[in-house]
Amino acid sequence: MCLCLVTMIAAMAAGRLAGQSVERLQVRADSLLREWRRASALADMVDSLKHGRAAGGTDTISVGALRIVATPSPARLREAAARAWPVIDSLYGSEAQQLAQRPYLIAPYDPDTTSPKPMLRGAIQVPWDKDVASLAMLLLTNVPIGRPDRALQNWLGGSVLPIIHPLQARAAVYVQLVTAPSQAARSCFLGVIGDCRNALALSESPDPLQQWYPSTGERRALVFRSFAEYFGYSDHGAHKSGLQQCGAGSDAACTELLRSLPPGALPRPLTYDARAALVQVALRLGGRAAYHRLVATPGEPIADRLAGAAGVSGDSLVSLWRSEILAARPAPVTLPPWGPWAALGWTAVFAVCALRSSRWRAS
Amino acid sequence: MFRVMLYSQWKWCRLIVVLGSVAGFALPLVSVQGAARADSSPLQAGELLQAVQSWGTLYPVLAAALGLLVAIATWAPDHRGRHVHALSLPVPRWRYVLLRFSAGAVLLAAPILALSAGAVLATWSATIPAGLQGYPVALAIRFALAVLLAYAVFFAVSAGTARTAGIILAVIGSVILVQVVASVANVDFDLLGKLQVAVLNWPGPLAIFTGRWMLIDV
Amino acid sequence: MSNAIEIHQLHYRAGRTFEIKDLDLSVPAGAIYGFLGPNGSGKTTTIRLALGLLRPLAGRITVLGDTIPENAPHVLARVGFVPEQPHLDPVLTVRETLRFQAAFYPAWDWPWAERLLRQFELQEQQPFGRLSKGQKGKLMMLLALAQRPELLVLDEPTDGLDPVVRRDVLSALLDYVSQRRATVFISSHLVHELERFCDWIGVMDNGRLITAVPMERFKNGVKRLRISDAPPTPDSPPFVLLAREPANGTTETWLVRDWEPQMTRYFESIGAVVNDVIDLDLEEGFVELLRTFRSPRS
Repeated sequence: MCLCLVTMIAAMAAGRLAGQSVERLQVRADSLLREWRRASALADMVDSLKHGRAAGGTDTISVGALRIVATPSPARLREAAARAWPVIDSLYGSEAQQLAQRPYLIAPYDPDTTSPKPMLRGAIQVPWDKDVASLAMLLLTNVPIGRPDRALQNWLGGSVLPIIHPLQARAAVYVQLVTAPSQAARSCFLGVIGDCRNALALSESPDPLQQWYPSTGERRALVFRSFAEYFGYSDHGAHKSGLQQCGAGSDAACTELLRSLPPGALPRPLTYDARAALVQVALRLGGRAAYHRLVATPGEPIADRLAGAAGVSGDSLVSLWRSEILAARPAPVTLPPWGPWAALGWTAVFAVCALRSSRWRAS
Repeated sequence: MFRVMLYSQWKWCRLIVVLGSVAGFALPLVSVQGAARADSSPLQAGELLQAVQSWGTLYPVLAAALGLLVAIATWAPDHRGRHVHALSLPVPRWRYVLLRFSAGAVLLAAPILALSAGAVLATWSATIPAGLQGYPVALAIRFALAVLLAYAVFFAVSAGTARTAGIILAVIGSVILVQVVASVANVDFDLLGKLQVAVLNWPGPLAIFTGRWMLIDV
Repeated sequence: MSNAIEIHQLHYRAGRTFEIKDLDLSVPAGAIYGFLGPNGSGKTTTIRLALGLLRPLAGRITVLGDTIPENAPHVLARVGFVPEQPHLDPVLTVRETLRFQAAFYPAWDWPWAERLLRQFELQEQQPFGRLSKGQKGKLMMLLALAQRPELLVLDEPTDGLDPVVRRDVLSALLDYVSQRRATVFISSHLVHELERFCDWIGVMDNGRLITAVPMERFKNGVKRLRISDAPPTPDSPPFVLLAREPANGTTETWLVRDWEPQMTRYFESIGAVVNDVIDLDLEEGFVELLRTFRSPRS
């Protein structure tokens, strides 16, 4: 089955290759690879379903365009799907419809037995006593939507997925903005939108080290915060003296150390959460076709793609993202407003217990 | 009456109160030591928060220790005298206990004020990067509440008789026994976990001690 | 109010062995009531019950007209108590202890307290915990007296004190009693001491009150008689025969209570002869009383 599909797709594609430029060929090759992966996944799924049907049958759950093929069990998958679907639909918009062709494969198992778990190749195995919220979270973190292009994945640091707890995620980004050892992040926090673009790694530059960590202090802070151990012990301590010089104030040593990192190992000022929040803002602004627009132009710069998806200028998008992050400032003191009263109440309760203690204690 | 009671308790608690006040004053200052340095950079905000959070674990410990020690010291003269003198005084029991409780609580004001002063001074002297803020008053209020609560708990336990202590131990023993029996019988019943949640989460009695204690935060 | 302390049908149990059962005790107002008994007889327990420090199982206690333990604070404000063991705060100095005590007693008499302080030669700045036993005893008495009580309850106040200190303490007590006509309820096993100033005596043993009579009657009423030719079973004597022991030949020694001189006529009527009537002091009487009480016949 698998082989058939691949051959067919390859034959269709081969006839159209002649006379194309190298760039276009590259794009086509990427596209073909995606198609091949998709076809491969589908083939696996069909095989698995056949196997599952032969072994004991399957249930198919449909909520919106979301499909779940699961072995029969008491797991509350339908309720979980009902919770997950609106979130998925709002994120991917029109693209969410493709989930009708990309079902989840789930194999719930009895957690209280030692008998073999149900076999369903490629399926997510999950104990069937999981609550609805956990199952919904499982669905949201494993949306079987087509992966975006490599450029978007590389920039984002993963796939575009729903954010389970958006408020907490934005609060975490707020903390990053304040505490990251990056001047760009700090300037972004203080309102310089250009620096926000730097911190979000939206501005393309041949030298990311200079772009993301332009000052001596930042580079030194980065070395000692993130790589002190690595440079201290890697390559049999070859970087130890560089580390000491960096610590002693030599910017050249710090720069050299950071340039010696393997490609892609230089951390961006802000983490996945910050960029994912930006994508969420763009998709929300752009409406139901936003995700489609985002993934439809894989060759363009990320900043332009995001702006195109959002339907606003890049600066407006980043500005809006910044406002949302600042608005999500986490509560600094963990006491709820009535916490002091509760504490005083308990103090009074224990004090009253003491006041009511027995006077009969002499013997 | 209150004055003499306060003086009597001061003589028993003075070492605890003085040491607690010194610790309470020093703790906030030590926790922002890095931030107070002249060469500290705004880029070290993360390190500052980490240091403040690490030292922050000592605030509830100090609060609990102060509450425990002052409560024990408050009852020490009566326990030593087997309550004979206390019971022969012409005041109702509840009033006597109230006098003792109030005197202990007043003495605890010293370490609370010391911590407040230390927190204000630490916040004032530290170079706090933009985006971070000092919360000396919130921290001091929380510390005060935690100290008072710990004091009230241990004061109530100390005020009890041997029978009270027996009842408390019996309840703890019963809970453990139920949990052991449940796990042996393979019954899915996490009583200890439920109790822990009830006690340590709001509005549980010890929730004030849990969570982060941050002098400087976002 | 004819009685400063009235105890009726009191019942108390401590552990499995010691019990006070159906205790009736009355301490007349204005009396100096000596409460005698061997160690462990229940004197301290009775005192603690009377002051509301212990909870009785049954019975009624009235002190200075108020019931105990319901009105204990009101009663204790008018009672000076010296416990068996000095249970004061050991870290407070003598002066601080006085201030502490004065704060709780509305009738506290500072001038007299100062006078007693000088009289007892107590060092003001000495912590209570570092005082000698004698000094502690003096301070306890000072505290009890300076609050101007209507009733003094003293639980072995001179136990373990040297004679000089004991004299100081007791003279201060008697001074006060003579001025204020206060009632004193004093327990002791130092019988000679009580003999000198008590006007009532109560004897307790094993949780029971054996006797409670005016001192004169107790002292005069307990006699040792030397009797000749006494019949083996004397017929209804007008006194209480506590003990009877053979002496030489036909002579016997009788220990009697409630004796009066005209009772010699009783012996004539039964054909016996009283050779000698010997007075017993309080201690001898007390010992004989206890011996009789504890013998199987009793």
